[in-house]
Amino acid sequence: MKFGIFFEISVPRPWGPDTEYQVYQNCLEQVRLADELGFDQVWAVEHHFLEEYSHCSAPEVFLTAAAMITKNIRIGRGIVVCVPQFNNPIKAAEVAATMDIVSGGRLEFGTGRSATWTELGGFGAYPDETKKTWDEWVRVIPKMWTQERFRYEGRAFSMPQRAVLPKPYQKPHPPMWVAVTSPGTELDAAERGMGSLGLTFGGFAEQEKKIAEYRRRIKYCDPVGEFVNEQVNTVNFLFCHEDLEYGAKTGQRLAGTFNYLAEQLLAARQAYPTRSYPSLGLLPALRREATSAPEGKIPEGLTIGDPDRIVEVIKKWESIGVDRINFLLNAIETIPQEEVLASMRLFAKEVMPKFAEKSTPVAASAGGAN
Amino acid sequence: MPLTGTRDLTPLVSLAPTVPSLDVEQWELPGAQILQLMYEIDDSAMTSLIPQALHPTIPPTLLFVVTRVPESPVGPYVLAEVRVGCRSGARPRAFLARGYCDSADAIEALGQRWGYPLRQADVRLAKRYDRVDATVTVEGRTVLDMSLVNPEPISGGDIQYLANLNLARVVRSGVEAPRLIQVDPDYVFHTADRGRPRLNAFDADAWELPGANPYHPVSASFAVADITMPNLRYLVDPAKSPLEAVERIGAN
Repeated sequence: MKFGIFFEISVPRPWGPDTEYQVYQNCLEQVRLADELGFDQVWAVEHHFLEEYSHCSAPEVFLTAAAMITKNIRIGRGIVVCVPQFNNPIKAAEVAATMDIVSGGRLEFGTGRSATWTELGGFGAYPDETKKTWDEWVRVIPKMWTQERFRYEGRAFSMPQRAVLPKPYQKPHPPMWVAVTSPGTELDAAERGMGSLGLTFGGFAEQEKKIAEYRRRIKYCDPVGEFVNEQVNTVNFLFCHEDLEYGAKTGQRLAGTFNYLAEQLLAARQAYPTRSYPSLGLLPALRREATSAPEGKIPEGLTIGDPDRIVEVIKKWESIGVDRINFLLNAIETIPQEEVLASMRLFAKEVMPKFAEKSTPVAASAGGAN
Repeated sequence: MPLTGTRDLTPLVSLAPTVPSLDVEQWELPGAQILQLMYEIDDSAMTSLIPQALHPTIPPTLLFVVTRVPESPVGPYVLAEVRVGCRSGARPRAFLARGYCDSADAIEALGQRWGYPLRQADVRLAKRYDRVDATVTVEGRTVLDMSLVNPEPISGGDIQYLANLNLARVVRSGVEAPRLIQVDPDYVFHTADRGRPRLNAFDADAWELPGANPYHPVSASFAVADITMPNLRYLVDPAKSPLEAVERIGAN
């Protein structure tokens, strides 16, 4: 089991001149500490226009800053929106390769397609198209990284032969992931030999079944990259405190705040009738889980409370096949920064050792020569 | 925390219908035709259209809905609503300040049972193969003219209708108070289409939506469905904060 931290970078109103600056500084401080404490990875989302919920529209910049202040933690671009109105596949490949180089081969490359009308409408993207363009991009980007020169004629994207430069530091290329929010996307990941990013919740039993199917299908995959990244990476809330009741109460406040903010946005399927978006997106299962417990109970799958409870919950996730858990640490600064840092320290001291193992990056190797 | 509404509903309360009892039986409305358009509105009216008990959506939106009901306990009617997309706490809802209907019997029944704040008008819905048109005319003045252009079939399951919050005066134990009545009908779809939304005319003041400027088209759908008008389950006190405003009927 590997542990990471996961940033939406949510910024509370009122927005003073220093509010975003301070939240970004807090996040970077958390990254620095995570690296010192032995967390394995840090992920940052790409979201646009999502007031308060996420002010993380340029994660490549934030993550580059994170890479510059850390030594070991892996850098998760989570995710590149593979929709032409948002990004361009050539540029995405170039930026990712550059991040991999400057981080010394620490990049994890997440892909996805956005789930809100707030974003899709803002960029003038057509919701029916996003799954198709995602599928095209995840096939061409690894070829841009591994072929000296690349050319392509496709449905939504074409280019004449060019050398897409630089090439990633990791060889053959960084591990590739798919953000999983809609039902069935975990199978899209499996069939393409990609890691499943965010596949959890909805109850242990249901997820155990989904993970088993992911494992079964990936055995017969047609990998989009040069290697198969068979891993199930999940997202959870973390608040760890010596006192179970205080830890659970604070963690539930964090989860509730996150949920509340997400609901204010306009999901794609709420605005535009399309089969392309069967669920509401923005970690819907995580949000459902956060509010699913009976009054007075702690939701069973959430990593909140005291170290003993958190160990128990993680063991359960581990037993059903989860490889990694990334933790949301805060939402609109609802938890004071000092308490967030203390929670991380306590987790590292009391919980991490119970799951200690030698961490080996999935990418074959890191080396300088192209 | 998210933005909240700033609207004082006092001027609207005296015009709102009175709901004498919250114990309302369901209605079955077979074969209803529903045309819905969504538009984004300018943020100058983001908070001014809804009371403090509600959050605006991001971005702010209006929903234009015209429903032809061929069969109901009070006979056929055509109902037109322009609703403000919003959130009641974390729940997606649509606030209705004023609607129009072509049947006096339906106006009275829908007002008394589900709190629909309606006025009489000539409301028309016309389904063609190349478009679906709807108009609302009040005393010879067109206050809404909208279309779905170039319909293409989809699944009814792809359409989401938001539950209404209707402004009404609720009477309990002889005391009358303004409340938003949650109305969340069930739909069983027979057919569904989507197409290009087109808003040809809209008089915001006629819908008690001063300053609403629908400038950016989002979507249009047309469906034929059996509608079940629900029992009442929740009320919202428009004067309270979003986290304190929702009341489950019968909880006290």
